Amino acid sequence: MSDERQPLLKVRDLTVTFGKGAHAVSAVAGVSFDIYEGETLGLVGESGCGKSTTGKALMKIVAPSSGTVELDGVDITHQRGRALRQARTRMQMIFQDPISSLNPRRRVRGIVAEPLDAWKTVTGEQRDRLVDELLNQVGIDPEVYGDRYARQFSGGQCQRISIARALAMRPQLLICDEVVSALDVSVQAQILNLLEDLKAEYGLTLLFIAHDLAVVKNISDRVAVMYLGRIGEIGPSEVLYEAPAHPYTKFLLGASLEADPDSAPTGAVLEGEPPSPLDPPSGCRFRSRCPYATERCAREEPVLTEVAPGHQVACHFPFIAQ
Amino acid sequence: MSERLLEVTDLRTTFRTVTGAVPAVGGVSFDLHGNETLGIVGESGSGKTVLARTIMGLQPRTNVEVTGSVLLNGHQVVGASERTMRTMWATEVAMVFQDPMTSLNPVMRIGRQIDETLRVRLGMDRHAARARAIELLTMVGIPSAQSRYRAYPTELSGGMRQRVVIATALACSPKLIIADEPTTGLDVTIQAQILNLLDSLKEQLSMSVILITHDLGVVATRATRIIVMYAGQIVEMGDTRDVFFHHRMPYTRALLDSSPKVTNAPHTRLAVIPGRPPNLSTPQPGCAFAPRCAYATERCHVEAPTLVDASAPGHRFACWNPLPETSDREAR
Repeated sequence: MSDERQPLLKVRDLTVTFGKGAHAVSAVAGVSFDIYEGETLGLVGESGCGKSTTGKALMKIVAPSSGTVELDGVDITHQRGRALRQARTRMQMIFQDPISSLNPRRRVRGIVAEPLDAWKTVTGEQRDRLVDELLNQVGIDPEVYGDRYARQFSGGQCQRISIARALAMRPQLLICDEVVSALDVSVQAQILNLLEDLKAEYGLTLLFIAHDLAVVKNISDRVAVMYLGRIGEIGPSEVLYEAPAHPYTKFLLGASLEADPDSAPTGAVLEGEPPSPLDPPSGCRFRSRCPYATERCAREEPVLTEVAPGHQVACHFPFIAQ
Repeated sequence: MSERLLEVTDLRTTFRTVTGAVPAVGGVSFDLHGNETLGIVGESGSGKTVLARTIMGLQPRTNVEVTGSVLLNGHQVVGASERTMRTMWATEVAMVFQDPMTSLNPVMRIGRQIDETLRVRLGMDRHAARARAIELLTMVGIPSAQSRYRAYPTELSGGMRQRVVIATALACSPKLIIADEPTTGLDVTIQAQILNLLDSLKEQLSMSVILITHDLGVVATRATRIIVMYAGQIVEMGDTRDVFFHHRMPYTRALLDSSPKVTNAPHTRLAVIPGRPPNLSTPQPGCAFAPRCAYATERCHVEAPTLVDASAPGHRFACWNPLPETSDREAR
């Protein structure tokens, strides 16, 4: 379905390795995916699976060890200096902790104007107008709150200000790293709706990184599931949630808690904990916790294979509807 | 139903601050029976943690005023001296806090931390305490407990640390465990493990559990009864199914509607509650939820509603304009 569309972001065999020699940790161990223009790709996984590192490597906040990241057909992996900074204006990242993402001693208007001032794309009056417009759009009244300090705001409001700042340079791609996980449900709903509105208004493409499966389902067109530095399954969110093909996806969905007393009590619970990325299991990285693992899983590393149009899974024995 | 384990009557916890009194818990009454799981849900600042700490008798004595009554297995907690409380902690009631790293001593081996409770509270000797500690570690599902006994908290993962905290809480077989956001910050698969563990321990040891959380999903299938808190007060309480499907208070409805669901289609627009929870240091007359409520009338801004009975036994709500009494499940 999306074959004719050109991906806005093309990631191939991305790896990020921290440390050297025996202490080397592959936080991201060969990840490939595309994000098409105008879509939202959800990236889920447990802590330590490398989802945040993937997001940071796309922005080159951490340097990828190998692999390529192409933005709109241009390889940015080896860009440096001004060219890299220029590329970064087209992709912006919002972080988990909204309060520590903002300088508590700066005023809201100054924070949002920072990217504009750094690039000097607009001047004086235009800049002030743009800042007020952005603040209005994220639901912060610039007349009342524009000159307050960042420390005077609640978590939800700080997240709104972070979003306004990220949008100042009109990026094409917004990387949202656990942007709602620190917020209360009612505020979380406000921010999720705001992201949907802004996405429509600015024609944004989103990479939405989160651990909460319900949140990801609500916002994403497609979802990728990561485990220990690798993508286990990627597909349209409806398909992936209704008919997960990878055993890990199935367990993850089974463990997620639905706010419904009639929902099935969590059935099969995944035993154990993710192994250390310092010493990942041979073959399939999930095999040490997988009840279906066989000898082949220990020997041979599964690669992402298409099981249905747009639905890929990296498993030797995927669940496929007959 | 079994006897009352906990009776809370008109409990008020007020913090005296430089900017004035903050009624963090403003008149809360409820009962808890034996071998029951009670869920307390609310957003941050709703007073659920303060309530838990007050029931535990953990509030500091300075600048905090606690009135009302908390009868824990017949013992009065409000106004009790720390010495009296010490006889109740661990044997009557124990608490599991949100962050396992800060509730454990980082420079003390985990076995010692469990031992300590056993030796001080139950007067066990070293060898007996050690054997019991290993037994407890096994019970909470820590693999190779014998060798983990000598591990430091930093050597364990978050889920394992929370298991250790639960083992410590269980050490003196309390009748009530108060778990304050025990799985917040843990991964979903680990969260399921910990909640299952609490459930099975509750049955095994016939304890009661108070499960405090902001996540309705955590209490939906675990709690027998649910209390919904807002701005330091109970706004609705009742059996889990009544609260989920026959809620009368608009806040409960709003809380349920604003949480994303796995069954939602992508790009489902979530219902939002406008505005923010009130600032408790500047008390407003009337219902605390009124400024954010879609059903608020003039009366709501003037007169505070009290809890009234709904049709189902034990189901109570505080609202002047309650939602109609229909089965929400059928309505959807």
